Amino acid sequence: MPKRFDQNRPFLTLALVFAAWLVVPTAVKRVMRAGFFEMQAPVEVTASYIRDLQEFWALKTRSKDELIEAGRDLVHLSNYYEIRLQKDDDLRARLERLDKLLKLPAPEGYRAEPARVVRRDFSGWWQQLVIRKGSNYGITVGSPVIYAGGVVGRIREVHAYTSVVELISSPGVRIAACLEGDTRPISFQGGINPSLAPARGEVEYVPVDVFVTPAAPRRLVTSGLGGVFPGGLTIGTLVNVEPSTDGLFKSGGVQLDAALSALSEVTVLVPEETPAAN
Amino acid sequence: MKLRVLILSLASLLLVTLLAQLNHTLGPWQLHVWCGGLFVAFAALRLDFRTGAAAAFVGGLLLDAGAPVAFGTHALLFLAAHAVIFNVRARVPRDETIIGVIAALLANLGLFVALSFLRVDLGPDTGGAWMRNFADLLVSQLVLVLVAPWFFAVQTRLLQLGGTQLRDASRSGAL
Repeated sequence: MPKRFDQNRPFLTLALVFAAWLVVPTAVKRVMRAGFFEMQAPVEVTASYIRDLQEFWALKTRSKDELIEAGRDLVHLSNYYEIRLQKDDDLRARLERLDKLLKLPAPEGYRAEPARVVRRDFSGWWQQLVIRKGSNYGITVGSPVIYAGGVVGRIREVHAYTSVVELISSPGVRIAACLEGDTRPISFQGGINPSLAPARGEVEYVPVDVFVTPAAPRRLVTSGLGGVFPGGLTIGTLVNVEPSTDGLFKSGGVQLDAALSALSEVTVLVPEETPAAN
Repeated sequence: MKLRVLILSLASLLLVTLLAQLNHTLGPWQLHVWCGGLFVAFAALRLDFRTGAAAAFVGGLLLDAGAPVAFGTHALLFLAAHAVIFNVRARVPRDETIIGVIAALLANLGLFVALSFLRVDLGPDTGGAWMRNFADLLVSQLVLVLVAPWFFAVQTRLLQLGGTQLRDASRSGAL
């Protein structure tokens, strides 16, 4: 065999494998991806349980005084939430009465499913979380994921015991948003993730009469349009706007919560099937 | 050959798990470690072509499973890196650990840049994304230099436990 051909044989093999891979049916690739993911899942889930155990033992070292203090704070918080719940019930009842009077369709309901974070994967290429609940808890693809500070992202993949959450800071993610107290829709896009700093995003199609400066920022919330996220959830803080090149709208920068990068527990809003859908 | 591929795949699984744990810890600082070069270097330098290529491909599929890229992206990139290293290995003292580390560093650099080109246009700030990728690459190369000798030793020892003598394996028919 000629020496030149022999030298190029690895590349010939590479070309052949590449060509063969292109013709492998998508269904086969999907099954293989699921298989490889499920093979790794138990290891990662076990590691997350070990981390929880570590945290538990770390908490056990706290003194009784600290625990008493934390308990007292918790009672205050609980009382506050109790009052808020009563107000919430009152408002809900009033809203239902108005809906009946106006014969409006019932809004889509969600079941809140809290889940622990198994793995954080925050690179410049993608930003995602793996959580410890999957199809075993009825999680569905596209379900919104939230935390105490607002929106986390949406479910991209559901596996048997785990799910993958695509964060709002991930490049390419777009969300229909609006400013608090303003119903006009604007477009949010994540994907600016500098090292050693909180993630940022960008907004487009901001009306020209909106003025925001770093000294007077405004809260950016979900608009409820688009059908994924319920309205009113915090996305981030709009810190600046400037006229876009076409002059018809403005664009600006959004500061996302630093806690988004350190989440250990999130809540999945699983859409509930309405009786009409059944 | 099958046993050697299985052993190297298990080593890759161990590396994937450790890197995932490291990235979980680094998450709050928005830093990410990616050591794709480590999945390729050892097998490309020390083993026959088929075994090395199969191990690199499986290692790539392990990464593909958890990444939002087309399934096979990492695997094909690893295969390409493997072919390049395999082609030049006759010209270097490939049994030396330092050569392995250098090969892993260069492979990691090439693979990282290739993967960045595939993903960088998705975000709104391309310049910022490159800066972030540069920081991640710097950290990744640093971690790779620290981890590579250990990982090569793990692979060597696992192969020896599986009954493979590396010198025989690398000499037995290049392809």
